[in-house]
Order: sequence, then C-alpha cells, then structure tokens
Amino acid sequence: MILRTLLGVLAIVLLVTGAYFGLVVSPPDAFQGDYVRIMYAHVPNAWVAYLSIATVFVTSVLYLWKRRAIYDHVAHSAAELGVLFTGLALATGMIWGKPVWGTWWTWDARLVTTAILFLIYIGYLLVRALSEDSERGAKVAAIVGIIGSLDVPVIHYSVLWFRTLHQPASIVRGDIKMAPPMLMALMTSLLAFTVLFIYLLTLRVHLQQLHTARTESLAHEV
Amino acid sequence: MNGIIRAAALARKDLLLEWRGREILTAMATFALLVLLLLGFTIGATPSTSPTMLWIALGLATMLGMPRLIYSEVEQGAFETLLLYPGSREHLFWGKSAALASLLAVLWCVLLVIAGLFFNLDIWSRLPALIGAGVLGVVGLSATGTLYAALLLHVRGRELLLPVLLLPIMLPLVLAGVRVTEAALGGNNGGMWVAVIGLFDILFLLLAPLLFEAITEET
Repeated sequence: MILRTLLGVLAIVLLVTGAYFGLVVSPPDAFQGDYVRIMYAHVPNAWVAYLSIATVFVTSVLYLWKRRAIYDHVAHSAAELGVLFTGLALATGMIWGKPVWGTWWTWDARLVTTAILFLIYIGYLLVRALSEDSERGAKVAAIVGIIGSLDVPVIHYSVLWFRTLHQPASIVRGDIKMAPPMLMALMTSLLAFTVLFIYLLTLRVHLQQLHTARTESLAHEV
Repeated sequence: MNGIIRAAALARKDLLLEWRGREILTAMATFALLVLLLLGFTIGATPSTSPTMLWIALGLATMLGMPRLIYSEVEQGAFETLLLYPGSREHLFWGKSAALASLLAVLWCVLLVIAGLFFNLDIWSRLPALIGAGVLGVVGLSATGTLYAALLLHVRGRELLLPVLLLPIMLPLVLAGVRVTEAALGGNNGGMWVAVIGLFDILFLLLAPLLFEAITEET
C-alpha cells in the first residue's frame, strides 16, 4: 500500500522533471525546431505500449501454464494499459507528423504495425468483456494475447516488405546524434513513463483483485 | 493412424452436409463475386490491382462462411457430443480445418475463373502456380479460422467478434498472398513471399492444434 503510493509519488516527480527537461532545458532541434519536444512524450508512450504487449505475452503464457489468477489479472491490466498507450503513441505521432512530415498519416511499416497492434488489443478487451464465464474468458483471452503478440513481428515484416519492394521508403532515417540535454530529457521521460506504467499496473491489478473478491463473495452469498 | 481416420470422418461429415445443401459455398461465392464486381467497378481492374481484389474477396467471403461450417454442431446442440467422443481433441481441429480448407480451395478456384473472365487475366497458362498460391493461403486461413472460431465458442456475439479478431491476425497472409499471386501472374520472383506464407502456415499449424486442445478441455 505505502509502497504503491511511493511509486505513484516517484512517477509524478519523474514526470514533472521530464517535462521540465523536455520543455525548458532541451534546446529546439536544428531541423524540427520546437516540434522535437513532442518526441519526449511520443517515444516513451510507444515504449510503454510495447512494454505492455510484452507483459501481456509473458503473463498469458504463465497463466495457461500455471493457471493462477494473478497472471490473468496482470495480463488483463497490461492489455488495457497497452490500448491506452498505443493510442497515445499513435496520437502523439500524428501530432508530430503533421508539422514535420506535412501529413497526419503515412503508410510507413512502423505506423501500420502499431495501428494493427492497437486493433488486436481492442479485440482482446472485447473478448474479455463479452465472455460468458470469467474463467473460460481468461483462458480465451490468454490465447488471443499470445497469438496477437506472436503475430506482431510477422505483421511488421510483411508490411515492411510489402511497401518497400515497390517504392523506396518515404522516410530516410539519418544517424542523428543527440545533444546531451536532449538525450537527458528523453531518458528522464522514458524512466518516468516506465515508473508510471508500473504504478498504473499495480493499481489496476489491485482493483481487479478487489473486483474478483467482491464477485466471489456475492456468488457465495447467493 | 486412428487420429487421421477420426479427423477424416469429421471432415467427411462436414463436407457431406455441405454437399447436400451447398448453402455455405453458394453464399460465399455470391458474396465474393459481389465484392469483385464492386471493387472491379470502383477501382478498375488492372494487372496490379486484380490480385489484391481476389484476396480481399477471398478473405471477406471466408469471414462470412466460416462460422456456419465450424459451428454446424453448435447450432444443432451437438457440439458437446462431439467433444465426448474418446481420443485427442487435436483430431477435431484437424477435421474441422481440413473441411474448411477444402471448401475455401473450391472457392479460390471459382474466384480464379471469375477473375479470369472479368479482369481479362490469362489464368489458364499459369493455373498450377495460381492454385498453389491459393492453397498455401487457404491452409493458413483455415488453421487460424478454426482456432479462433473454437476460441469464441462461449463468447457472446461470437460471429461479430470473429472478423474483428481474425482480420488483423490474417494480414500477413493476405499481403503475402497478393504478392505470390502477382508473381504467378506476372512471372516476377515471389520466392520470398512464398516463404512468408509458408512461415505463417507452419507457425499456425504447430500452434493451433495445441491451443485448440487447451481451449476445448473441461468444457
């Protein structure tokens, strides 16, 4: 309990520090100008999105193997956070893309993969919501989670090759060296969002446990 | 050996049922034809767009027809009986997905002929390669389709959810199918894409029976 609160406080402190570094300390980029500051929010969002997907995969495998409710709670919570942060990553990416690339959306492999990932995990949550009994629902969701995660690399490479074989990549990524203040802003943000993710995850898992306990005690009374 | 017989018996039963009524295939073929007509008319059929239209028609028609084939026992209330038969449930998976694969392979051949007529494609000289491309895709489609249909058996609105869950998973298969078909029609090298479909097929042929067993136990 106290540990969780401390984690929350740490997340807030880090987020504020990250915002300070990103908005004040970091200089504007030579090419992107102030728009580079969006990256300090975008990159951590994408990172946390992938972190949640990895969490869903690992805990789903563990659930199918060990059948312990806690793994299912973690997988469910991580999937919700995954949808949230994938959505945020897409949104911040679009906000950055409009001024820098001149378009909200482009058919780049990474963008398409992320959008598909978003849809796969919305499907995961739909399955959870519509399952008739919770234990079977957990098993179904675990399988959907495992397949969804395993399919992501296959989707990524097929999308990548599908476009690149016919037209040159629309974005050429140069080997950009970051100035130290920029790197610091980015790293602080990454750390802040990671701590925030762990905090939200523990909070959500706790809520899920309370919910399950409540449902079980109600069923017991009946 | 016993398992193969069990799987074959189930597939034979489903195909016989379909042969007597021919409902699913008729509906799927009609729907696919409508998709082809609509896309052909709005986009215009060129050698570069035809394979895409073919695969979109196949994918969407699969979504339409699959639940009816996989859930044929469920609608009659006989799925529990099917599960009660002794032996491994893996064979149920093989039987169901073999029946679905046969049906989809027939649909693919129908689509090829229609595309040959409508889109003015020279399919006859490249028939083996085109059929091969379709069969490779159909194997993956039916493996993923059977698994997901079994997954959603006890989920409300399963026929609504099935396409939502399946389409993103199938995306690599459709992309690779388009490229392999292009290669078969145009003669350019599609070796890498055959490998992509092959990888997808192998991945799901290994995974799906295991997960199918996991999901049908104690139900």
